[in-house]
Amino acid sequence: MTQSQTLHEARSQGRTFLNEVESKQVLRDAGIDTTQATLAASRDQAIEQARAIGFPVVLKVISPDVVHKSDIGGVKLGLKDEAETAAAYDDIVASINANQPGANIEGVSVQGMARPGTEVIIGMSKDAQFGPVLMFGLGGIMVEILKDVAFRIVPLTKRDARSMIREIKGFPVLEGYRGQEPADIEKLEDTLLKLSEFVQQHDEIKEIDLNPIFAYRDGLTAVDARIILEEQAG
Amino acid sequence: MGIDVAKFDRLFNPKTAAVIGDKQALGYSWLNSMSTFKGPVYSVQIDEREIPNIEAMGYQNFKSILDVPDDIDFVIVSVPRKFAPMVLQQCIEKGVGGATFFTSGFAETAEEEGIALQNQMQEMAREAGFMLVGPNCMGLFIPGRGVRFTPQQYAGEAGPVGFIGQSGTQSMYFSLLGGAHGVKVSKLVSLGNAIVLDVPDYLEYLGQDPETKMIGMYVEGVKDGRRFFDVLKDVCKRKPVVIWKGGQTSDGARAVSSHTASLATEYTVWESLVRQCGALPVHSLEELVDVLKGLLYIAPSTGERMGIMALTGGQAVAAVDAFAKQDFTIGPLSDSSYEELSQFFSVIGASYRNPLDISSNLPDQTVLVRILDILERDPTVDAITTELTTSLLDRRESMGEGYVSGLIDILANHRERTKKPYFCTVCPVDQEVAAIDMRDRLLARGIPSFPTFHRSANAYRKLVTYNKFLSGE
Repeated sequence: MTQSQTLHEARSQGRTFLNEVESKQVLRDAGIDTTQATLAASRDQAIEQARAIGFPVVLKVISPDVVHKSDIGGVKLGLKDEAETAAAYDDIVASINANQPGANIEGVSVQGMARPGTEVIIGMSKDAQFGPVLMFGLGGIMVEILKDVAFRIVPLTKRDARSMIREIKGFPVLEGYRGQEPADIEKLEDTLLKLSEFVQQHDEIKEIDLNPIFAYRDGLTAVDARIILEEQAG
Repeated sequence: MGIDVAKFDRLFNPKTAAVIGDKQALGYSWLNSMSTFKGPVYSVQIDEREIPNIEAMGYQNFKSILDVPDDIDFVIVSVPRKFAPMVLQQCIEKGVGGATFFTSGFAETAEEEGIALQNQMQEMAREAGFMLVGPNCMGLFIPGRGVRFTPQQYAGEAGPVGFIGQSGTQSMYFSLLGGAHGVKVSKLVSLGNAIVLDVPDYLEYLGQDPETKMIGMYVEGVKDGRRFFDVLKDVCKRKPVVIWKGGQTSDGARAVSSHTASLATEYTVWESLVRQCGALPVHSLEELVDVLKGLLYIAPSTGERMGIMALTGGQAVAAVDAFAKQDFTIGPLSDSSYEELSQFFSVIGASYRNPLDISSNLPDQTVLVRILDILERDPTVDAITTELTTSLLDRRESMGEGYVSGLIDILANHRERTKKPYFCTVCPVDQEVAAIDMRDRLLARGIPSFPTFHRSANAYRKLVTYNKFLSGE
């Protein structure tokens, strides 16, 4: 399915968001690197897909009712074999049922473990006055507590992408502070520009979170992604 | 992008004017304000008790704008709100260039009648393509044409600063404070409820107005955010825009589901937009005037290496702290500068390391000329600033008449010759009146000054930021 078809279908079903698998697919079509995730609707499917991807894998619950997956046991990381994958699947279902009874569980997303990198967040929200706005920041406490983020109004120019990355206080971290692996800043700029272009083409999208993105010396990958759609009139 | 420049030109360069509904209760403030207008001003008033007073002031009065035997470019309306639509209708019929409605009691009251009247006027003006400023506004201040909205404002001498204000008070205070600091206005508009012409319209106009070299704004919020963004981005490429946003607190709790949306508060996004466009955000009336003053009187530059001259060691330290806080460099001078300075600079109780503490060199003013020349030639110095605290200079003056005016002559001569940005800090300490006098004497010679190092450093930083933006950095 193309981006537009995926978005159209979700909207025609009256949904206000894309699940992780759909979000990543749509973003990959837009040229943004994400980990590849597939939907497994059963324990057996999860094992089968994990085998195809290669261990270790990650399982995350796919449910229209669950917003903060990891808070209620909806995410299992570093599953090394089939047995662990099977157990994780059962754990996730049990945990969601216990913590959020009645939540509709469509299955889990299965994906490979991404190599850890510098955690970055990129997102989009809509300002009541100025329309779509992109955000950039470092992940973890830098964004949670220090709110060390930069914003630009869509559409972004190259200069905007360049300056917003350099504007955050944590920028030295991206340059490879104290021998850490530096981040691919050019690729981050490119990701911001592609997201800006993508957002411009899709009025029906209300908010986007790419959180976290792992940035490496060469390239990056969005490990989690969420696309929220505008409510439909009527 | 969308405005009819010819219509704006007529309204903002009026040759004829009329005041509708001025009265004793207002102290005939509108007619008094317009006494400086360069052209005929007619009065329109139907109240028989007011007419003799108005005529005694020398104004010809008519019962209706339609009776005025002249084409009218600019009308000020100050009638009770229930008559406002009728007056607007007559202005449209007469074909006047535009009108500012001081009349209030519209949507800002949030009551039914006010909203209905406002909607009615909006529809009438839009349909006729009429230039309606306001309502509920102070309107225009165009000193070059003698258009004022309070008799406290200056007239005759225009400046190059355009201003757009979403508050009548802040617009008035800007004109008064700016006037005292040599930041004079080309065209100013206090826009009130902005039911026809809004912030982006005025910005687009001032952006292309050849008499306006820079723009100041006081904004609380804009209705057409996208157009504002597009116009601001375009204007900033040609001239600096300095924006003070009122109402910077958060817009409270909103239902958001993404991380990004929870962080994108109203003010954060606003400030990002302002910077993205290349405009300069400020946070008070004083800062607004400071930054415009810097842009107006300091040579354009992207240079960040400061040469600092202070009257004492203690002030040298304070100056360095303030400029360093704004990310300027106060580094060593070139070897040749040191060599030259060492030949004549009295180091007892002073220092010729940058910052230069010139205390013991003050008695001989020719030494000050040499120091300024050395800083001017030094390739490691991009910009020069001098501290002049009146409490200290007073002591010099008491030793010999004319010390201070001699010093000002030296600085003014330097200002005329220098290619580098040059400005002063005049700290009042206990002598605020004397400091204002010093500020005015410097300004008369084209030298801008600020009352604290922090304000000096901030004004120059904003100038550098804008020039870096222009240079594509």
